Amino acid sequence: MAILEIKHVSKFFGGLAANSDVSFALEEGMIMGLIGPNGAGKTTLFNCITGYYPPSRGEILFKGRRMNGLNPDKVCKLGMARTWQKVRPLARMSVVDNVMVGALCRTNSLKTAREMAMEQIRVVRLEHRVNVAAGGLPIGERKKLEVARVLATRPELLLLDEVMGGLNPAESDEIIRLILEIRKSGITQMVIEHDMKAIMRISDRIVVLNSGEKLAEGNPSEIVSNPDVVAAYLGSEH
Amino acid sequence: MTIFLQSLISGILIGGVYALIGIGLTIIFGVMRVINFAHGDLLMLGMYATYFLFTLLGVDPFVSIVFTIPLMFLYGGVLQKVFINRILNSLPQNQILLTIGLGLIMSNAVMLAFTSDYKILTTSYSSGSVDILGISVSQPLVISFVITAAITALLYWFLLKTDTGQAIRATAQDREAAQLMGINVKRMSIIAFGLGASLAGTAGALISPTYYIFPQVGSSFTLKAFVITVLGGMGSIVGATLGGILIGIAESIGGVYLGSGWKEVIVFVLFLLVLLFKPSGLMGKSNA
Amino acid sequence: MRMLPQSLVNKRGASPVRVVLTLAVVALLFFFPRLVESTYALHIMILIFISIIMGSSWNILGGYTGQYSVGHAAYFGVGAYMTMMLLQFKQIPPWYGMWAGMAAALLTALVIGTICFRLRGPYFVLASIAVAEIFRVTTLNLKEITNGAEGILATELPPLRIGGTVITDFLTKVPFYYAGLVCVLLIIAISLGVQHSKLGYYFQAIREDQDAAHSLGINLTVYKNAALAISAVFTSLAGSLYAIYVGFIDPTTVLALDLSVQIVLICIIGGIGTIFGPVIGALVLIPLSEALRSNVIAEGLIKSGLVNAESGVGTFLTDHLSHAHVLIYGILVVIVILYMPDGVLGFFSNLAAKRNRGNA
Repeated sequence: MAILEIKHVSKFFGGLAANSDVSFALEEGMIMGLIGPNGAGKTTLFNCITGYYPPSRGEILFKGRRMNGLNPDKVCKLGMARTWQKVRPLARMSVVDNVMVGALCRTNSLKTAREMAMEQIRVVRLEHRVNVAAGGLPIGERKKLEVARVLATRPELLLLDEVMGGLNPAESDEIIRLILEIRKSGITQMVIEHDMKAIMRISDRIVVLNSGEKLAEGNPSEIVSNPDVVAAYLGSEH
Repeated sequence: MTIFLQSLISGILIGGVYALIGIGLTIIFGVMRVINFAHGDLLMLGMYATYFLFTLLGVDPFVSIVFTIPLMFLYGGVLQKVFINRILNSLPQNQILLTIGLGLIMSNAVMLAFTSDYKILTTSYSSGSVDILGISVSQPLVISFVITAAITALLYWFLLKTDTGQAIRATAQDREAAQLMGINVKRMSIIAFGLGASLAGTAGALISPTYYIFPQVGSSFTLKAFVITVLGGMGSIVGATLGGILIGIAESIGGVYLGSGWKEVIVFVLFLLVLLFKPSGLMGKSNA
Repeated sequence: MRMLPQSLVNKRGASPVRVVLTLAVVALLFFFPRLVESTYALHIMILIFISIIMGSSWNILGGYTGQYSVGHAAYFGVGAYMTMMLLQFKQIPPWYGMWAGMAAALLTALVIGTICFRLRGPYFVLASIAVAEIFRVTTLNLKEITNGAEGILATELPPLRIGGTVITDFLTKVPFYYAGLVCVLLIIAISLGVQHSKLGYYFQAIREDQDAAHSLGINLTVYKNAALAISAVFTSLAGSLYAIYVGFIDPTTVLALDLSVQIVLICIIGGIGTIFGPVIGALVLIPLSEALRSNVIAEGLIKSGLVNAESGVGTFLTDHLSHAHVLIYGILVVIVILYMPDGVLGFFSNLAAKRNRGNA
């Protein structure tokens, strides 16, 4: 069953279409890769899905429920969580407190929240940083913190916006391991990523956006052999 | 109807001075993204300078701007260099608190030096009036409006036609890009703060024949300056010009029909309404 | 890697030494009026208590939640006016009136919050000032209800009776001292409670990054309004206390922009977002401004021989220093913002941290 359905979604800023008539669906438990050149409208689509602004047209269904117009906090409570392309650590709070803020979405008890937080901190392997101020972490660890924090909200669907951006190969590998591990726990994921190798490796299915429109959809091998994608995507990147 | 027209005209006239105050604040905000809470206190300093130039040296208040403008420019430049420059990258709330602190220092230093007694500057024409289309209007207001218009025109010319003016506008548009293009951003900031201060000081000089002069007079003008700039859109000079005149009219007409005690309330209610119902243009850069 | 300053770490539990020390200080404060006869000392303590209450209240909104209201005089004034109007015009004793004040402040906060929290950063600050100014000007103009610029003078406080026995007749400063102390302990307990609860985590998350907080399931409107409501109710309580203690209020003292600034100042001087920041701030500010007001400093300078009483400087100081407390506030703000952005507490703990590192 589809956990997320995007139906004919368009988003206009002034007269400019950041997304136009985008449709696709995510099956439960899969990893969907969302790729496209810079300015293709990937983050805009994330923002529409997670309630940062309502889509101008079209419909977003999460577990069959219409999400248009819901606020981000409500979206998170319903089980859909997102990370940010530019990481947003709660700088003057410690690592564990950051993750606890996420966990408090599901509990009112600090004790339970702390346990849930420690569990996610172990998943992303940040145990050695528990009491460090989040603002002081190096970029690789901030990205992991971001993942731990959204995992603590117990999402069914996770939207990751360039979690590998700015990381070195070893750090990227660790994030890939993490994404695959998250899939094992049954969480559906949609991943925006620029690293083509990585995205081909982890994705079950890929949607390509170009100039706000859906250019192609398919499994990784279909996407690499799609001439439109090669022309549009690789052409503009190289 | 005559009363309405009369209050409308004096509203426009006083609005011209408000525009000067607003333009000063908006230039400072535009170039540095700092909201200057000491703006009204700069105006107060202008008033005192004018008062003493008049009582001690006998300089006419409207002529005195020849002295107040460079004086306040210098003072503003020093303030920028010594204080404001050091907090350009701080949290906005710290910037606000710093300028509040500077304002408190100015008003209370003046109070210590000259007591908090109200001073009145009376010229031969203070209570004179002029006929405009058969409606009698206060003479000092008319003179101050003419000077205001001239200064505003000069300022527009400076900002649009001179190299320095264009550099200031470029800095206001995008500080980093301006820096990359070789504009001396620090110098532009000093000029901007100097300009803002001298505009506030000029406004103080122009209203000194019609207002009480006392150390705390600034805070109500600071608040008015915010209302004007927010009304016109933060950072927009044309907006501040229009905003100033609009607030002048609202105050003047409101004062006549609701009583002078309530005219400040009208201004603040107007302010909140603008903040609430035209927030799109206002919220843009605030979320730094 | 930067470790968090001690003040910002969410501690679990307190050490026994700390508990004993705290209890000792509280006990000492309770016996203070018996140990110290001086009414002046009591007066200073009461002013400090009122400052701690308003500082700590502001801290919940400004310090923890990061919403810099520079219009808290509105809530202080609502408490002060509600209490005094009920006392003078309706003969309702202040210990009922203060509840009315708190209720009114709560209502005000919810209305203001709904309006102003749609704004962020400097726009929120401006809106909060505008609201407080609307209150001040309105109070000035509604003469029939508020006495306008004349203000309200409390002629007499009725004795407080519980079940027929007179608890106190308010003839000395002692009952005000205890009322203040109880309120201080209450607001500190509430701050601690907030800090160690979901509320505190959510407030801090909003302070650090509103968008991130929003995406983690935090309803910004609800939690910002909650912070404002708590903050406003206790600021109003401080206003009520002030009104009945001083016995006179007018718009320029309890609804002024200066007061709003002073409330913020208490916190930034002590250290924003910490339990004891407002306490330190009040302990610095009140004695300082009282010393200036009563000319202790000028007299001290002259007595110590540093300044000649007959000289120009000497007469200037004795004549003027008593009016200089706001000037000193201004100077303090500038110094604190430029040199101690974490407040006095933060400044010294950073200093200590540096020294420790130096020794290691």
